[in-house]
Amino acid sequence: MSLSRRRFLGVAAGVLLAGCGRDAAREQPPADAEVLAGLLRRELDTGAAVAGVGGAASIARQDRLHAERLAELSGSGTVAPRSGAGADLAEALELKQQGVFAYVAALPRLADPDRRVLAMQIAASEAEHLAALRLAAGDEPVPDAFAGFTEAPAR
Amino acid sequence: MTAERVRELFDAARSDAGFFQAALHVEQVAALAYAAAAEGPLSGRERAQALRFAGHERRHAAAFETMLFALTVPVRERADGDDLDALLPGLRRAGRREALRQLAELEGAAIEGHQLMGRRLAALDSLRTVAAVMAGGAQHLVVLRDALGRTPLTHAYETGH
Repeated sequence: MSLSRRRFLGVAAGVLLAGCGRDAAREQPPADAEVLAGLLRRELDTGAAVAGVGGAASIARQDRLHAERLAELSGSGTVAPRSGAGADLAEALELKQQGVFAYVAALPRLADPDRRVLAMQIAASEAEHLAALRLAAGDEPVPDAFAGFTEAPAR
Repeated sequence: MTAERVRELFDAARSDAGFFQAALHVEQVAALAYAAAAEGPLSGRERAQALRFAGHERRHAAAFETMLFALTVPVRERADGDDLDALLPGLRRAGRREALRQLAELEGAAIEGHQLMGRRLAALDSLRTVAAVMAGGAQHLVVLRDALGRTPLTHAYETGH
């Protein structure tokens, strides 16, 4: 069984547990700011990789917007863009895919409904970035029905 | 019109099960819509893509059926042609561009509904499945925007609007 398949089944198992009223992970939840700070670190890494990919300026700008908003909400202060020198498309796609996974995984850990919706908006944006980058490269833009959760080809 | 009707479906939900029933209905209609677009207005590469996306929508619907099963809610009804005509009136007779526009409107409305679930669902763990479906829909939206010649293809904060 592939890692991505196990990941999706893990999501389903978590749902069943929630349906039974059991969720040990929420007994000591991290603060929203802590969750968002983790997402910010990932966003900065991904943004740096995308910034090094030719023709992805619009996506890099959107990544900066994500980082600025996450920094504001997590209390992380101003964020300096990282250099993307040396990054290639395959690396950018892989980091983007991991970013989608991270935003989705973070959702149950965010207590504030507004922050959950923001994380969903950014998750959707990151998924769109993957499709747009693949489209520009001439690859199948949507290889998986669940944005990589059941099949996770970087390209 | 499509977006307004989808919004009404999600707005009417008063429980987690109600939200999943609304989401299931929209995904079932989306599967029918892509299939209808493939049979009629679309051709060539776009027809093939619509058939693939119809398959994706069926898988999304199956995921929401699983969520309802976890809540011990039986699924007795499935969307049919009448539901398609109610949600996307005129799709079957539409030209290529109008069909793509209606499909994009439906995908956007579904994303908006999923984000409402992000705000209101009580069982937060189930949001991961909702978000995985939403992200897949957002990727469909990129392809539809590209086919329609719309820019930008991606939004920094995708709300579905």
